[in-house]
Amino acid sequence: MSSPGAPLVQGTRLGDIARAAMPATSMLKLPGGTLFEMLAAAFLVFLVLIALFVDFIPGLVSPKFPYGDFSQMPDLTLNGLLGTDDIGRSILSRVLYGARASLTIVFVATCLSVSVGLLLGMLAGYYRGMLERMVDLYANTMSALPSVLVVLAFVTATGTSVGAIILILGILDIGTYARVAKAGVISQNNRDYVLAARAMGATDARILMKEILPNLIPALTAVMPTLMAGLIITEGSLSFLGYGIPAPAPSWGGMIASSTDLLSRFPVLIVGPTMAIVLTVYALNTVGDYLAHRLNSRERGN
Amino acid sequence: MTGLKPYAKAVSTRILAGIPVFLLVTFGATALSSLAPGSAAQLILGDNATAEQVAALNSAYGYDLPLWERYLKWLGNLLQGDLGQTLFSQQPVLDVVFDRAAVTFEIAFLAMALSLVGIPAAMYTASHPGGIADRFLRSLSSLLLAVPTFVIVVLLSYVFAIVLRWLPATGWANFTDDPIANLWYVALPVICLSLHQTAYLYRVARNEMITVLQEDFVQVARARGLSLSYIMLRHVLRPSMPQILTVMGLSLTYMLAGSFVVESYFAVPGIGWTVLTAVKSHDIPLVQAILSLTVVIFVIVFMLVDIGYAIIDPRVTVS
Amino acid sequence: MSEDLPILACRDMSCQISARPKALDVLQNIDFTVARHTALGIVGESGAGKSMLVKSIMGIAPASVRVNGQIMLDGQDLFAMKPRDRARFIGRKVGIVFQNPMTSLNPYVPVGRQIAEACRQHFDVPRDEARQRAIELLRTVGIADPEDCYDYYPHHFSGGMKQRIMIAASLICHPDLLIADEATTALDVTVQKEVLDLLQTIQEQRQMSMILVSHNLGVVAGRTDEILVLYGGHVVEYGPTSEVFRNPRHRYTEALLSAMPHMDQPTHTRLRTIAGQPPSLANKPAGCPFAPRCGAAEGPCHTTMPDMRTGTDSRHRFACHFPLEQTVGPAVVSGATDRGARAQ
Repeated sequence: MSSPGAPLVQGTRLGDIARAAMPATSMLKLPGGTLFEMLAAAFLVFLVLIALFVDFIPGLVSPKFPYGDFSQMPDLTLNGLLGTDDIGRSILSRVLYGARASLTIVFVATCLSVSVGLLLGMLAGYYRGMLERMVDLYANTMSALPSVLVVLAFVTATGTSVGAIILILGILDIGTYARVAKAGVISQNNRDYVLAARAMGATDARILMKEILPNLIPALTAVMPTLMAGLIITEGSLSFLGYGIPAPAPSWGGMIASSTDLLSRFPVLIVGPTMAIVLTVYALNTVGDYLAHRLNSRERGN
Repeated sequence: MTGLKPYAKAVSTRILAGIPVFLLVTFGATALSSLAPGSAAQLILGDNATAEQVAALNSAYGYDLPLWERYLKWLGNLLQGDLGQTLFSQQPVLDVVFDRAAVTFEIAFLAMALSLVGIPAAMYTASHPGGIADRFLRSLSSLLLAVPTFVIVVLLSYVFAIVLRWLPATGWANFTDDPIANLWYVALPVICLSLHQTAYLYRVARNEMITVLQEDFVQVARARGLSLSYIMLRHVLRPSMPQILTVMGLSLTYMLAGSFVVESYFAVPGIGWTVLTAVKSHDIPLVQAILSLTVVIFVIVFMLVDIGYAIIDPRVTVS
Repeated sequence: MSEDLPILACRDMSCQISARPKALDVLQNIDFTVARHTALGIVGESGAGKSMLVKSIMGIAPASVRVNGQIMLDGQDLFAMKPRDRARFIGRKVGIVFQNPMTSLNPYVPVGRQIAEACRQHFDVPRDEARQRAIELLRTVGIADPEDCYDYYPHHFSGGMKQRIMIAASLICHPDLLIADEATTALDVTVQKEVLDLLQTIQEQRQMSMILVSHNLGVVAGRTDEILVLYGGHVVEYGPTSEVFRNPRHRYTEALLSAMPHMDQPTHTRLRTIAGQPPSLANKPAGCPFAPRCGAAEGPCHTTMPDMRTGTDSRHRFACHFPLEQTVGPAVVSGATDRGARAQ
């Protein structure tokens, strides 16, 4: 930690998790969180359900078309619960459809970076050498650059589209996941069960898939919520700056950006999307802290 | 004691580790320009340009060369201190970047200075864990960490500029022209930028200090009847500093690289604002220069962090 | 303070860890005194509550631990003081040396300052004078070139040296009582003896009292006047060292003594071990804590905690329903325990 020869980036919470030795059993034993952590998890489940089934909510109007008067104050009807925006669209509908957009983008991007990161990290940790140095270089490079800057640089070239955004967001965290996986593999590599499998003549692929991979899952799961929260913020910032999901489609960042013009007269309009993004990030952080804490205390126990 | 050696080592290690990162980023930036849908020349000249005009511009900028050749050319120019011209205003990229950087640096350093209040706060709450202040600040910091900067920006400017009318929402004056007006305009951006940093720094510092407080030497100090404030200052703060410095280094890099949301919302003419305009106009030389600058900043900041480690930790000096 | 007032007296002291489902008793009914200029040995296996006892006396037990009873230090009731005053008072009166010298010194602070800081704080000693005192103490504990060493950091010193520095630090306020909590356990065997001898010399020269805490009877044997045997959070035997060594009355003490190697045994004699495990905090036996491992345990041993009894020597007390007979014959351990006799 304190020597100048240490790796280029270090000391973040993620780094600590990555450095910690992997546990011997494969799954995190979940229960035992506080009420607060349970609520956070429940909120995330609720959010996922919304994203999946928003089309089937009876009476909910389309988020893309005007439904009432401009900038209506909230009332007690379903569509007017959070008011209407500057061109009369239901804010509740936009917030809920925005949840679908945000979650989809973040989920697909995370799948992308986890799978690529896991693959690279496992190979790098197992075979070391050049590949390991490449993975380190990539992770260092990505941590040297703020994520919004990276995305903007790509957007300069590719332009904004949902596909491009997913791809770019997916690229951001590959290095972090790879580093977590790599650290896990390295700490596992000389454990007895891996040595035993090797002594019995198991192939590298078999050892990686059957012996090592299951033990990487807890550490990866523990960093995932925090990184996803980061992606939600990055995606929101992009939409806020006007480089996110293209216009008529609802996005939380975009809604906040468009409500700023009317802020002096209709400050209520910002409440819906703000609550949505803050609660989501807060819930993800809470669950992430809980998982990281459990993982750490379990390792201390071992 | 070997004098300056550990510092030299810190500097050389960082530079050596920074070179491949620099090359990767700048090469990536060059490669990006070939990803662009139309050619740069077409973007500049518009749809009505003739094929000859486009070809002339392409060769002038070197866009007709293969990727690696273009990159080597860019590197060669870099060594001569020439990063090319911005695509549209046709100013030297380097001048533009340094101009903007001064603005961003001012905001970033002020925000960093402001966020340092997190350290004494952490010292107090770490030494009174579970107290009211501890619980309050822990909730507050995790809430702040969950509020994206673009929300903070909107909320604070609503409160301070629209409701209370204490501070201006947008506008800019150069420090050299009018320092008072400059501070006036800079206040809201700095506050917005520092909230996140303060919360993060506070959290890391508190957790690190709690860890140090478990150490045997703190038990010894307590058994010797030393006062809590003395123990925190003399025995806990310094061992926590390496971790705190790392976080500060990371935050500073990110803020120096451009505070996109803050600068665009408050119309502050800094790096972040420049990147946004450059992105809008597909000004790749400018984006490329800023990416390179970011890597350089990162290397320099972490060189300083390493030197900080060497100053803080007496063990580094002899090893 | 009068000379015959004991420097430390614990009266009916107990420690509880507040935990769920029920609070755990770490220490119960602890009664002992340390007279001036004498040394007390506290002996017990790990988990017997030695460290908790020391921490409770020093006022640094974890926040989850409740300490009850009365602790009188130099005639003052510690629990009647405000916490801040108590900490200062203890810091002035008691010097303490902990188990692990590697972690007891702050690696980020020069050792001289760590020695001097307590007297700077407690007595407002000027900087230069504190420095002189610290250098003098470094010399006393046998550090070469103390002037230079003042500014060195802990990583410049070996484990034994660090423990000497800790001893120097514990002496800076001229304490009346020195507590060595397993002070030599973490050291090499050869260094152990040097440090123990140093502690003993300092105690005698400076006319201090001393508490020597150890899991090793051999450590306390020749260096203490009285000995207190802890088992499962209870005092099981307490008396003059020579008397306890010669005539152990509690079966645990006896077992400990016969588990100790000594010179007059033929070589390759198997040492006796004590079968079983010490009781865990969560399920302590209802009666005597040693009953599950005791060869002589009968009905009452498992149901009621024995009271403290007094032997023929009125200072020798023990808690056993069926104590060992008083032997008058040869000492269990010869020679090594004579300090008690010498001091009187």
